[in-house]
Amino acid sequence: MKVRYADIDLSTGQVRDYHLSEDIVRLYLGGKGLAAYILYQELAPGIDPLSPDNILIFNTTPLTGTGAPCTSRFNATTKNVLTGGIASSNCGGSFGIKLRRAGYDGLIIRGKAPQPCSLMVIDGQITIQDARELWGLDTEQTQHRFDRKYGCVVIGPAGENQVRYACAVSGERVLGRCGIGAVMGSKNLKAVVTYGTRSLPINDPETFRRDVQHWVKALHKNPTTGEFLPRYGTAFWMNIVNRHHILPTLNSQQVKHDQAQRISGEYMTEHHLTRNSGCVSCPIRCERRIMLDGKEIKGPEYETLGLLGANLGVTDIEWINQWNYQCDLLGLDTMSLGVTLSLAMELSQRGIKDYGLNFSQPENISIAIEKIARREEPFDELAEGSAWVAQKYDALSFAIQVKGLELAAYDPRQSQALGLAYATANRGGCHLDGGYPVYFEALGPIAVNGHTVRGKAALTVLMQNLMDAVSTSGFCLFTALGSLPAALFKFKENSFVPRLLGNIIISLPSTHWLWRLMPGLMPLNLPSFLPHPLIIRDVTGMKMTLGQFLQMGERVFNIERLFNIREGLDRQQDCLPERLVSEPAELDKPDTVVHLDKMLDTYYRIREWSNQGIPSPRKLKQLGIAN
Amino acid sequence: MAYSINDKCNGCSACKLLCPVDAISGERKEAHHINPLRCVNCGVCGRVCAQGAVLDDQGQPAVRIPRKQWPLPVIDAHLCSACSMCVDICGKQALAISTPAYKGDLRVYAVLSNPKNCVGCSLCAQICPLGAVTMEVQLS
Repeated sequence: MKVRYADIDLSTGQVRDYHLSEDIVRLYLGGKGLAAYILYQELAPGIDPLSPDNILIFNTTPLTGTGAPCTSRFNATTKNVLTGGIASSNCGGSFGIKLRRAGYDGLIIRGKAPQPCSLMVIDGQITIQDARELWGLDTEQTQHRFDRKYGCVVIGPAGENQVRYACAVSGERVLGRCGIGAVMGSKNLKAVVTYGTRSLPINDPETFRRDVQHWVKALHKNPTTGEFLPRYGTAFWMNIVNRHHILPTLNSQQVKHDQAQRISGEYMTEHHLTRNSGCVSCPIRCERRIMLDGKEIKGPEYETLGLLGANLGVTDIEWINQWNYQCDLLGLDTMSLGVTLSLAMELSQRGIKDYGLNFSQPENISIAIEKIARREEPFDELAEGSAWVAQKYDALSFAIQVKGLELAAYDPRQSQALGLAYATANRGGCHLDGGYPVYFEALGPIAVNGHTVRGKAALTVLMQNLMDAVSTSGFCLFTALGSLPAALFKFKENSFVPRLLGNIIISLPSTHWLWRLMPGLMPLNLPSFLPHPLIIRDVTGMKMTLGQFLQMGERVFNIERLFNIREGLDRQQDCLPERLVSEPAELDKPDTVVHLDKMLDTYYRIREWSNQGIPSPRKLKQLGIAN
Repeated sequence: MAYSINDKCNGCSACKLLCPVDAISGERKEAHHINPLRCVNCGVCGRVCAQGAVLDDQGQPAVRIPRKQWPLPVIDAHLCSACSMCVDICGKQALAISTPAYKGDLRVYAVLSNPKNCVGCSLCAQICPLGAVTMEVQLS
C-alpha cells in the first residue's frame, strides 16, 4: 500500500516528496494516526505552535474518495495552539477527495510564507500563489474566488489574526478545534486548494460494492443513523441531554435549562429547517439547511446550540443561527468561543472583570464575536481562549477547559466516563477524542449508570481506541454509533433492559483483560456490526480483524500520548476544572461531581501506562511503536 | 494514455465547452490541446468533433456521434443513498439531490436535474459506490 505525501516549505517555496514506508502505512493507515506519526518524527519539541517551526499536516486515508459510507473526511494535525500538545481535527466536504484525485494523500506544510499565499495542488502540480488580495476576506468570499469545482480549505479574519481558537473552513464544513486556522494564519497561508481527476484504486471493487450496499442498508435501518440524525440533526440530543441533567448551562453553574426545548433539533426541524443535507459520500445526512435573511445556509450543530445557547443562558435559536453563520464567515470555533464567552460572563457576574457581556443577554454577543475575530478592544483578551483569560483573572477553577481546550456541550458530573474521557483525551477537553462514552451513559439505547465509576476506565479506554480507529481510517464517528442493533431502541429510555445491558457492560470482570488479548480474541468481521475493517480490506487488500482495527486505534492513541508527554503534558494535566470535581451539579446530590481520582489509576493500569501516565516500553513494543 | 487533438483542429471550441473536467485549452480558431494530467478518457471531445481531430487513448481517431445518441445517467432511486458522490464529481452541474416530497421526507436521492447540461461522460456511474447509476441511450 503506497501513499504519496508532499513536503512543502512555505519559507523557501521548496516542494519535495516525503517518503513513508509501506510498513508504517500499514500500522497507521492514514488520517490522524499517520499524521501523528509524521509529526512525532518531524517536529522538534518545545516550539511555539504559532512559529514558522510548527508543521501543519493535511491528510486523507486510502478510503477517502472511494465512496465508502462517510469517508469524505480529511484530517489536519499540528501542534495544538491551545494546549501545546497534539492537535487533530477532521472535516467533511470534498477537499480530501480532490486532494487524492490530484495525486496526493497528504501535505506536510512547514515554514512561513513571506506574504499571504494560497497553496494550489492541481492535477499533481503544487504551486504557491500570491494571496495578498484575499487577505481580509471572509471564508465565503475567499472560496468564491476559486473555481467552484475546486476543493478549498480557507481561513477568515480570525485565522489571519491568529485568534487561538480560529478554525479553517472547507465549503461549509469546518476544521473546528485546536486552532488549525491560527496555525494557517501564522504561516501566512490563506487557502489550500485542490483539484484532480485521477481515479482512486479499490482492490476488490465487486466485494466493496456489495459490502457498501449492505452497510448503507444497515445505517438506514438503525434509528440513530437512519432516523434521528437525518431528521433532527445532531441537535436531536439536546432534549435527551437536558433530561439527563448534563447540559452545561450558565458556564456549567447549572446542568439543565427550562427552555432547552427551544434550541433542540425538534424545534429547529419544526420552525427553521428547509431540508437536510450531508457531507459527500454520507448516507446519514445529518447536516441542517436553514434560511437566514433569505439565504439558505448551514444550520448550527448540537455543540454550537449548547455552548452558544444554554451555556450563555440564550434559548432564542434565531440568535444562535446568526452567530453560527457569523463564526463560519470569520473562521471561529463556535465551541471554544461559547465557553470563552461564558467564562467572560461569569467574570462579570462575580464582579471580577466586566466585558459588557452578561448571561441571558444576547444583544452584545454579535459585536463581541466580530471584535474577537479582529482582536479589537475590549474583546482582544478573549481571543486567547478561556485558559489564558482564566489565568489572568485567577479563574481557573471555573474555566471549563482541560489542558487549554474548552469542553464540549456535555457536563460530565453525571456521566463519569465522560469526565475521565475529557481528562485523558489527547487534544484536550474533547468528547470525541475522549471516546464519546456519553453515548452509553445518556444518549444511546444502552443505559450505563452515569453516576458510578465502576467499569468506567475500561469503557473509556475501549471507546477511545474505537473512536481513534474509526477516525484514523477516515470514517465519520457516527458510523460507529450506527452499529448498535436496532432492536435496542424499542425499549423505553432507562427501562429495565437498557439498564441491565448497561450494568453488564460495566460489570464484565476486568474488561481490560479482554482488551489486552483483543487482536486474538476478536477475529470477527460482521458486515452489520462495525464493518469498518471489512471496507478497509476491500479497498486496500490489507486483511484486518475487528481486534486489529481496535489495536490500530490504541496505537494511534498511544503515539499521540507520546507526543504530548514529550511536550511536557503528563498526569498533572490529566485533570478537570475544579468546578467539575468539587461543585455538585445538583445541590441536593453532593455526589454529583466527577470522581476522577477514583478512575485515573485504573485507567493508566488498563492502558499499561506508568502511574505518571507514560506508556510502558512493553506496550509500545506490543503496538509496534517502538522496536 | 489520454485523448489528444491533432492538427486537423479548426478551433471551434465545441470540445472545450463540453469537456466535463475542463481539460481542454485553446483560443477560438486556434488549435486546441488536451491536458493529459486531467483527461479522464470519457470520450466526450471525440463524440462532438466535426473535424475528426480527436484521437482516443489508443491514438485512433474518435468517431463523431449525434447528441441524441449520447448516453445519459439513469439512477435507481431505491438503491441510491443520496450520498452525493455523483453530484460532487459532475463537472456540468447536471445532477442534484431530489427535493423532499413533503416536510420531513427523508427519502431523497440523486436525480438528473439538468439533462441539457449532461454530456454523457459517465463519471457519475463510475464513482457511484452502490452501483445505482447506469448509462443508457434514451431512444425517444
